[in-house]
Amino acid sequence: MVTGGIGWVVAVNLIIWTGLFLYMLRLGKRLREMEKEK
Amino acid sequence: MKNLLAWLLWLWISAVIVGAFYYAPLAMGFLGESSRILFFHVPMAWASFLGFIAAAVWSIRYLRSRNPAHDRAAAAAIELGLLFGVLATVTGAVWARIMWGAYWNWDPRQTSILISLLFYGAYLALRGAIDDQDTRGRLSAAYAILGIVVTPFLFWIVPRITYSLHPEPVINAEGKIEMESRMQHVLYASGLGFAALFFWMHDLACRVAALRERKPAP
Repeated sequence: MVTGGIGWVVAVNLIIWTGLFLYMLRLGKRLREMEKEK
Repeated sequence: MKNLLAWLLWLWISAVIVGAFYYAPLAMGFLGESSRILFFHVPMAWASFLGFIAAAVWSIRYLRSRNPAHDRAAAAAIELGLLFGVLATVTGAVWARIMWGAYWNWDPRQTSILISLLFYGAYLALRGAIDDQDTRGRLSAAYAILGIVVTPFLFWIVPRITYSLHPEPVINAEGKIEMESRMQHVLYASGLGFAALFFWMHDLACRVAALRERKPAP
């Protein structure tokens, strides 16, 4: 039960972190494009 | 190369998350699993401190060079310091609810971080109140440099000279680290991960600010 609960917490943390990471990666790419345009 | 570093950071922080729950043992004297919040709460507070000190360094550089990029870097560092400070406060409040029965207790630690957040919130208000770029840069740089005195006092000195229910700092009043070694591994790895994340976010924030300044006003 405890292991299952912890598993969910780990999964939610990993999903939030991966979402933030992909957003930042995409933002960096978009910024590079805009800097080239300028 | 930058992408490779970013993916390494993803791997590093993912390992910290897994390690915080499956590698590090529970700390003694804490209810349930509540001690695990330490691996995120403390590095967030460190990242906040890093932001405020970095802002002071960039402000000194701005006053010496008058380069607007340094002013933007200082402002971005304070914004991120505030972000991490708010996250540290919220995670601390969640922990306080479990351990002390209430989210907010006016404990010296809680009060000191609240004062630092208000202090740097005022920095943003100051910046927002001045239109002229040079005046804004000079005044906000002077304010951020004042933070070199205020921030270490609130983050490091107040918790060591006042009676608090808050657990001891990582380096306690006797200058010793009394923490289980596996907990230390995860905590330091998390600290490094959050520092790297801070600098990555800072780089993005500075580039966004630079593009905004170049864009003609509508």
